[in-house]
Amino acid sequence: MSATPVLAANSVSMVFGGLTALSNVSLRLQEGQILGLIGPNGAGKTTFFNCLTGLYSPTTGNVQLRGQVLPTDPAAVTVAGVARTFQNIRLFPSMTSLENVMVGRHSRMKQGPLASLFHGPAYLKGERDARDRSRELLEFVGLGTVHDELARNLPYGDQRRLEIARALATDPKVLLLDEPTAGMNPQETEATRQLIFAIRETGVAVVVIEHDTKFIFSLCDHVSVLVQGQLLVEGTPDVVRADPRVIEAYLGKPPDEVEAEVRQYAEEAAHGGPESTQVMQPIRDQDGHEGGNR
Amino acid sequence: MSKPTNSVTGSVAIPPGLARPLGIGGGVLAILGALLPWVTFLLNDGAYPDKATLQFFDAPYAVSGFRLHVLLLGVVAIVAHFIPVPLRRVLRALGWGLIGVAAVNIVFPLVDGGGFGAITSDGTNFAFGGIVSLIAGIALVLAAKTGPLEPVPQWKTSVPTLVAYAVLVVSFVALLLVVAMMLNAGGQGGVGNPYAGPIFLSLLAFLAGVLGALHGIGLTGWISGLSDKHKWFSVIVLVLVALALPFTEAGTDYWMTTAANIGVYAATAIGLNIVVGLAGLLDLGYVAFLGIGAFVAANFSGAAAAAFDIELPFVVAAIIAAVVAGIFGAVVGSPTLRVRGDYLAIVTLAFGEIFKKAAQNNIGGLTGGANAIPNVPPINWFGASFDESLTIGSLELPSGVLYYVLIIVLVALVMVVFANLKNSRIGRAWIAIREDEDAARAMGIKTGQAKILAFLIGATLAGLAGAVFAHKTSTVAYDSFQFIESVTLLAAVILGGMGSIPGAVLGAALLLVLPEKLREFSDYRLMLFGLALVLIMRFRPQGLVPDRHRRAELADEGADGVPIEELNVHDTPGDEKAVTR
Repeated sequence: MSATPVLAANSVSMVFGGLTALSNVSLRLQEGQILGLIGPNGAGKTTFFNCLTGLYSPTTGNVQLRGQVLPTDPAAVTVAGVARTFQNIRLFPSMTSLENVMVGRHSRMKQGPLASLFHGPAYLKGERDARDRSRELLEFVGLGTVHDELARNLPYGDQRRLEIARALATDPKVLLLDEPTAGMNPQETEATRQLIFAIRETGVAVVVIEHDTKFIFSLCDHVSVLVQGQLLVEGTPDVVRADPRVIEAYLGKPPDEVEAEVRQYAEEAAHGGPESTQVMQPIRDQDGHEGGNR
Repeated sequence: MSKPTNSVTGSVAIPPGLARPLGIGGGVLAILGALLPWVTFLLNDGAYPDKATLQFFDAPYAVSGFRLHVLLLGVVAIVAHFIPVPLRRVLRALGWGLIGVAAVNIVFPLVDGGGFGAITSDGTNFAFGGIVSLIAGIALVLAAKTGPLEPVPQWKTSVPTLVAYAVLVVSFVALLLVVAMMLNAGGQGGVGNPYAGPIFLSLLAFLAGVLGALHGIGLTGWISGLSDKHKWFSVIVLVLVALALPFTEAGTDYWMTTAANIGVYAATAIGLNIVVGLAGLLDLGYVAFLGIGAFVAANFSGAAAAAFDIELPFVVAAIIAAVVAGIFGAVVGSPTLRVRGDYLAIVTLAFGEIFKKAAQNNIGGLTGGANAIPNVPPINWFGASFDESLTIGSLELPSGVLYYVLIIVLVALVMVVFANLKNSRIGRAWIAIREDEDAARAMGIKTGQAKILAFLIGATLAGLAGAVFAHKTSTVAYDSFQFIESVTLLAAVILGGMGSIPGAVLGAALLLVLPEKLREFSDYRLMLFGLALVLIMRFRPQGLVPDRHRRAELADEGADGVPIEELNVHDTPGDEKAVTR
């Protein structure tokens, strides 16, 4: 773990007016790692993502990709090799799946305005390469059959996967996924988990924001817990899961009568037993199918 | 997942059992209506056209003009019951066509001849043709409401190339003849024909009905599929067909001039389409770029009032005009880095006004101010002056034909530029910016550069059109470039369908031809025109010839007449959830 991390956030703070959204958050993402970022609503997870991707310029601190400080311009950050998806899906709704992914190829294509205008051999080759690569990626995320479907017409889960394909099209070194399984049923969540493993296989390091702690603990090599803009705990899933502060941050100080249940929950989570998929849901709701089978 | 179904059936529920009686009955009524007289007596402005008076008795079955159209619609409605076509779709289109034709030819005698007597009975004579045809139209529309509309059949586009070519040639030639027919309906500009307006409107309604029916059986979709597949062949044929217009009945000085004006507007509108339709940047001062191009070309034309005492060849002047306009485009585009949406519209609006005021005040002695720059010489190539008529062998072509040809070439050029850019990395970037600017940036698109490029290219094309405009109109004055012109251009783009090339051309054509054709409605002309725009936007918000993307965007927002089936929505196997947005 002493090697230069592929992505490093160094004491990032973000202040909006009088509100401190992030204070001194640091993060190290190693090559080939899947890092989970969890925390209650409003903890600053998405703000942190926006700092990582240059959408926000951190008030203090910086972000480095393989030792190079990243600029605070989303386009330049993407070119440098950090791609992201959005919490609320932001595809280009009236473009087809294939076109969406081809937009992702934008920064890796060399076609200038003149080539675009005259459609010479170089243009044709570039266009063909981009299309082939985009098809490959659609295939990779499991959307091989819907190239010509408009993004807006895709089912919800497919839209999430299309967003991932689009992000991958930028040839990233680091992929940031903002709640990739939000609103998914258990099968889709599992498919997404497998997809993220497959992405890691291709040499891309991944950071995932999720509410679903079971998903995070079963997916990530390293988990960071963000609470009220501060890094509360970090470490391997086992370390984080066992930390009472995490449970407290999520559920508040347990009154005596629910303490036992909380402990039971933590145990079950540790053994991968029946559990609620959404930690934010009351933990009494234990049928495990809630939110699925719609 | 259930396929989203289109509910064009509306609120009226007609028992399906009535479909056949209504459909066939409507057809029979239409034939009857066509054969009945339509007007009882001579109107104030003379006999209503096409045997609509009691001349019925002189020539009992003489049917021509709009009555022929009514007859045809009726016959087709009956025939449609006995051949395998999407019946309700066809009947709906025919019905609306009939209603349109009947309404025009009822309303006009009513207003012009004074009272219901003109279209019913004045004691001795009767004339129920209009009313009967109207009822026929309504019956057909009701017959179409007896059930959900059928999907438009998708014809196979994998036909032998030669067949495809033949089909394309035939359809484009048919298009040319229809255009010529429309231009000539009622005589050019209504000169000497008091009924030119209703004749034209009635023809329009008829053509709309026929087009709707052809669309309903999948023919237009098939042809557009074929032309997509054989893109280059289509473009060439289209240009050749456009060049053939002077040889048709519309080949008059008047229409050549109007067509050339349309061409200038169409080229400019396509340029604007890059900015508004692709990149989604609302520009309310776009005509300024046309103006800049025109003034630059005028100043290098050798006109007496020009600022520079040099006469450059037209091509050189046109290139300079385009470059200068492009530079201004980039300058105007630069604030777009900071402002979005409404604010951008205000910035461009202000730029348009600055340009107009500057031109009005003869800034730098470049615009002639209120005196304009008059007497810009016509383009002269190889001894042929562009404003004179042209004789090829024994065939004399109308004056202005050379401008017409030049402008066709210009429009074709601009079309190619637009199409090539649209299907490229930069075009995709523009559309991405239009759809979601933040997401576009997150995809590595330098949105600032891309937006300025859109403005630059759009302005360059407008500048090029402006150079032709300067020579063609011969007087370049600031008041040709008012705010209302920008609005007209924008209307052309939106009317035709944002992001669509044929849309921009059709929009420009409609916006210039309709006012000409509605001339004899004098005071009501612009009101009718405005009403037409409102109606089109209400019933076809995606534009007349929508771009694929826009069509998808607006069709599911309750746009009437654009069934979802056309959008190729198909189920994705294995989905458990439908998108509900």
